[in-house]
Amino acid sequence: MSVRVVVRTISELCLTVGTLIVLFVVYVLFWTGVKADRAMDHQIDVLQEQWSKGAAAPSPTPRSGSGGGTGGNGSAAGTPKAPGPYTYGGPFAVMYIPRLGFTWNKPVLEGTATQVLKKGLGHYRGTARLGQEGNFSVAGHRRTYGDPFKDFPLLRRGDAVVLTDGTTWFTYRIDKGPYKTVPSDVEVIDPVPRKSGYTRPGRYLTLTTCDPEWGHSHRLIVWAHLDSTQPVEAGKPAALRR
Amino acid sequence: MYGWIWRHLPGSVWVRALISLVLVLAVVYVLFQYIFPWAEPLLPFNDVTVDNQ
Repeated sequence: MSVRVVVRTISELCLTVGTLIVLFVVYVLFWTGVKADRAMDHQIDVLQEQWSKGAAAPSPTPRSGSGGGTGGNGSAAGTPKAPGPYTYGGPFAVMYIPRLGFTWNKPVLEGTATQVLKKGLGHYRGTARLGQEGNFSVAGHRRTYGDPFKDFPLLRRGDAVVLTDGTTWFTYRIDKGPYKTVPSDVEVIDPVPRKSGYTRPGRYLTLTTCDPEWGHSHRLIVWAHLDSTQPVEAGKPAALRR
Repeated sequence: MYGWIWRHLPGSVWVRALISLVLVLAVVYVLFQYIFPWAEPLLPFNDVTVDNQ
């Protein structure tokens, strides 16, 4: 084998690796966002469809999610009248945070596994249900997969976090955050998270994402309390009007 | 490597170019559809929870 062949082969390998890396960066920065936007729109469509079918009785229509393998096999029972457990991997609510953008809205799915978080925000299993006493805790991507919590550090005390489960609007108000902590700090999603300053049981909400933006050494947390609720028939809550 | 592939493709120059293009697109498709989704969770962008489920 001549030197020429060796040099040429090595050059070609380097070019190939370089191209692969560029393609991978395109995938992570751009394509995951495209996929996630599509998946989240689909989840919201699924919810709207469920809600329009009549929110009184949770229909047992099978849902396949978006084919990600973790799609729920039953509809999310998000109605207060029939508080069954949320279906793992299925959507059950839509979240609005005006501070992150007037059009910012994301589906909330049950579970925080990687596959679930690709399709929306994830509700920690075992934490309180939406609007119930305890700590309704939700995790979301800071970067990649649609960058839902990209502007997380902008959240301030008093900001509204509005959720709907199809029958009720829940308006939470942020009390503390963004609070930086380490990934093992599971106490932040306790029913009464101590570091938030809450001392008594109540209806709380916790949002978590990663920090720094592209890293995983820390987590950012905000805490909120349930400020008001109103039925969907009463129209959008004040926090969403402009 | 690429020279070897080029020499083993059939047809005229244009047919070879076309086949090459299809091959490149097929590789990109496989990467985006299968390889990258597998590799991406190995990076830290997915760690957004506090209990690492």
